[in-house]
Amino acid sequence: MLKISHLEFTHKDAKHSYTYTMNLEEKEIVGILGESGSGKSTFLDLVAGFSTSSSGSIELDTQVLTQMSVEKRPITILFQSHNLFEHLTVQKNVLLGVSKVLKENIEDVNKVQGILKEVGLEEYEHTQVSKLSGGQQQRVALARVLIRREPILLLDEPFSGLDIATRLEMLDLVQTITIENKIHTIMVTHDIEDCKRIANHVYKMQNNTLVEQ
Amino acid sequence: MIKTIQLLLLLLLLSTTANASGTKPTLTIYTYDSFTASWGAAPKIKEAFEKLHYCNVKFVGVSSAIGALRKIQLEGKNTKADILLGLDTSIAQVANKTGLFAKHELNTSKLVLPVTYSDENFVPYDYSYFAFVYDEEKLKNPPLSLEALASMPKDFKIIMQDPRSSTVGLGLLLWVKSVYGTKAGEYWKKLSPHILTITKGWSEAYGLFLRGEADMVLSYTTSPAYHMIEEHKYNFKTANFPKGHYGQVEVAAILKSSKNQALAKKFLTFMHSETFANIIPTTNWAYPIVKTKKGLPTAFEKLNIPSKMLLIDGKEVERNRKKIVNEWLEALGR
Amino acid sequence: MFKNYQRIKFSLLPGTLISLTLLTFAFVLFYTLYTSQENLVFTQIEPRVWLLLKFTVYQAFLSTLFSLVVGMLLAWSLAHQAKFRGRSWLVALFSSSLVLPTLIVVFGLITVLGRNGWVNQVSLYLFDYSFGAYLYGLGGILVAHVYLNASFASRSLLHSFESIPKEKYKLAKSLNFTTFQRFMYVEWPVLKPTLLSIASTIFLLCFTSFAIVLVLGGSPAYNTLEVAIYEAVKLDFDIAMALKLALIQLGLTTLLVVFSANFRTHISNLKTATQAIAWEEKREVKYLQRGIIFLFTLFFILPLFAIVVDGLGADFSKILQEKLFIKSFFTSMGLATLSSIITLLFAILLSDAKRNLSLRYRLEDLPFSKLFNIVLSFSGNLYLAIPSLIMGLGFFLLSQRYEAPLALWSTVALLTANVLMSLPFAQSVLAPAMQRTAQRYDRLVFSLNLTKIQRWVYVEYPYLKSSLGYVFALAFCFSLGDLGMIALFGSDEFSTLPWYLYQLMGSYRSSDASGVALILLVITLSAFIFLPKLFGGNHVKD
Repeated sequence: MLKISHLEFTHKDAKHSYTYTMNLEEKEIVGILGESGSGKSTFLDLVAGFSTSSSGSIELDTQVLTQMSVEKRPITILFQSHNLFEHLTVQKNVLLGVSKVLKENIEDVNKVQGILKEVGLEEYEHTQVSKLSGGQQQRVALARVLIRREPILLLDEPFSGLDIATRLEMLDLVQTITIENKIHTIMVTHDIEDCKRIANHVYKMQNNTLVEQ
Repeated sequence: MIKTIQLLLLLLLLSTTANASGTKPTLTIYTYDSFTASWGAAPKIKEAFEKLHYCNVKFVGVSSAIGALRKIQLEGKNTKADILLGLDTSIAQVANKTGLFAKHELNTSKLVLPVTYSDENFVPYDYSYFAFVYDEEKLKNPPLSLEALASMPKDFKIIMQDPRSSTVGLGLLLWVKSVYGTKAGEYWKKLSPHILTITKGWSEAYGLFLRGEADMVLSYTTSPAYHMIEEHKYNFKTANFPKGHYGQVEVAAILKSSKNQALAKKFLTFMHSETFANIIPTTNWAYPIVKTKKGLPTAFEKLNIPSKMLLIDGKEVERNRKKIVNEWLEALGR
Repeated sequence: MFKNYQRIKFSLLPGTLISLTLLTFAFVLFYTLYTSQENLVFTQIEPRVWLLLKFTVYQAFLSTLFSLVVGMLLAWSLAHQAKFRGRSWLVALFSSSLVLPTLIVVFGLITVLGRNGWVNQVSLYLFDYSFGAYLYGLGGILVAHVYLNASFASRSLLHSFESIPKEKYKLAKSLNFTTFQRFMYVEWPVLKPTLLSIASTIFLLCFTSFAIVLVLGGSPAYNTLEVAIYEAVKLDFDIAMALKLALIQLGLTTLLVVFSANFRTHISNLKTATQAIAWEEKREVKYLQRGIIFLFTLFFILPLFAIVVDGLGADFSKILQEKLFIKSFFTSMGLATLSSIITLLFAILLSDAKRNLSLRYRLEDLPFSKLFNIVLSFSGNLYLAIPSLIMGLGFFLLSQRYEAPLALWSTVALLTANVLMSLPFAQSVLAPAMQRTAQRYDRLVFSLNLTKIQRWVYVEYPYLKSSLGYVFALAFCFSLGDLGMIALFGSDEFSTLPWYLYQLMGSYRSSDASGVALILLVITLSAFIFLPKLFGGNHVKD
């Protein structure tokens, strides 16, 4: 269980602060709705570790994440764009999720092949990412989520740039991945339809506080 | 854009009205720029000459004496110059070859010059010696000959000017040539590790020297006089080389195309007057070629006077200049 | 849409006319030189000249390489050390290196790094050891070129660093990238295209470098092609040879301009980012970055400081009363103002023609639009490659052929030279900015059917004003510091500040010269900082 309790973030101007509380079981998806500038993305930054909270805690089962540095947290994050290194191949992009050495080992390469089949990109293994369509690119990003097998997945409006058909397809893929890999998924979006389709719980930012709907 | 045009027209108007002032003849003299600077010799000479003769004297300063010659060549027959002033004897021959200059027909035998110089077209007006200047407080044992200069310790550095762009630099080349003859190349090889840098003109070289970058700089025996008279600094000296120093005799000539031949000739005669001779030392920092009652400023008495002025005949210089420069280039690492 | 099409088509005219004028003018220059001698004999080029050419390319290559490496390290450090006091001030100062008068910088460098410079004096005092005359020769040329170009490169590269989406850094961080991987995967791909175009600019600037090479070169073995041209014109009066050399230089640099695919300098005046990169650097990396910034700042500021120290000793009441100084001052300021206005106008018109030809919904489908566009770029950049001596000589001969007062010719020659010199830089700032405004607002402007004037007042000006201000300041400072053309036209009657400075140096007046150098430095820096403010304060965000 991912347990976020009274996580507080005070803005630089010290005039307003946000408070977040949320509980989430594995295989569950939480959707977070809210106007832009309401503090949704700040929440993801706090969970991922890009910002530090003034009080409160983040716990995953027995593990306390609150003070952990970004790279040590068991988290994968997906943005609306800029998730990939456009000048590299699909394979390399996925591999960067697990291996930082410049020379790939065969075991990882085989793993990547399997995962690319899952997301339907097996033909594109050696294609440069910049040559793919927007939907295909987000698939590559999802493939990286799969190879990392981290228990927490953060999605920051990842599909809002895509056409409806592709978006629905993607949402379903996220749901499958979440369930099959026992992941805790938090999805920030401005579209209630996204939540209706896959979210188990929906939260909203109200008066600088995260509230379950 | 309209503003630009207006301004240009205004400039045009101003300069034409300025030119049309009266029927006074104007004597135009091309020379190098440090001669025409407000602290140079030109303003005083202009004043003195205009007092003697009814005319306007107009000095036109160009970046170097060679530059002034080139300017006249470029202007060809249309040149406004009546007189070219400031070439030295090494380059005067180049000017003679252009056929643009007129005979002076003056008697120059009475002039006080350390060497004999006579040319049909060019008349001398001052002279000086090339020398290496140093700061007495920093350099206790200066080298006292070209040979000693090249045999100084490794970290001893001098600055010279490029003979392709500076008459001072060319002067050193001729100096070495007149002392070492066919062995000049060898000398340059020996000297080259001591050359810190070679500048385009005298000013960069002297500027670097004053910043303490080199132990010695190629300049004139008269350079310390400037520091004594204008700055009251007495630590700058020149090294006296007993075999003699190469000299620079500065000359002037009238252009054939000049419409003021008589006036121009009067100016050449004026160059040999006491008035002119009294102006030269503290404005052009050189020796006049006429003895005056007033004599030289006292600071000049403290200067080294070389035992002998070395000077290669202008025609010979012109014949061999390319060869001498190439010899130098090769020795310095081409 | 048809009406718009016609309107745009017509707006090609001014730009095209300017472009043609520039090309014709270059041709006239060479033709005047070619016909100036009655029987022009093309003498054999001495083998020495080929050696010069080889060295010129060699030093330009090394200078470019070192400038880029240093500039890259500096930009990298600044990008990751976004929070320290005086950062934006420092970055602004670095970008001024492009307009500092070269001769002054050289003397500043010598005061600090020379044989008797501060560094050697300190080292002699502390360790009884002097590094000697390392500043002369190839080393000195490289140091001075790196001084002027690395800071310029770092400014452009910093802009590239800051254009990297912050998500990319977050992603890299969560994937646990090392500093090296971050550079390889996140930063390098963005920097590479910028790097290429800066490289070609720096190479051109170093290739034609003159003052630096002459003072710090040390030996004739370290001369450049420009020096050979100087020799041919001044000493040998061999105009045929000078022409030949100029054509060789022109040919080589033209190749470079053309092949570097549309010369773009990537100089920009955009404010540095306020949003820091969410990446707490490892301690060693942090110290390395701070060290780099500290050392380079020292390297950059000390020579400027040296000029100030040298200059403060001068007798300013005497300098300021000198008639020639006052005259030079006003001439310089007048020329700089005029030439920056003309530069701005030309750059706007050229960039406008250029964007008309390269935007699909404008006139890109016009026949030969690509070729046309190349000609436009080429005409604006051509003068980076023409030696100022050749330009000056051409002007001089023209002034002989068509009689007019010298003051008029001098003004025209200097203005032309200054405009032509600034134009490549002006265009490289304005062209991309104007392209972007068009891309962003064309549809809106055309649908509202705004007039040209309305378009400028409501759309172009607010968006472009910071670029316009920057171009204006750039042209102003370039003109202020130029010592190329004035060397041929300068006289007591027509003198500029750099010319006056050079004259002082040539007459033992080193103390006055230091004073004037300081004045020139102060004017240049303040013009560079304050002129852009004339065009209005806040920059419209990209």
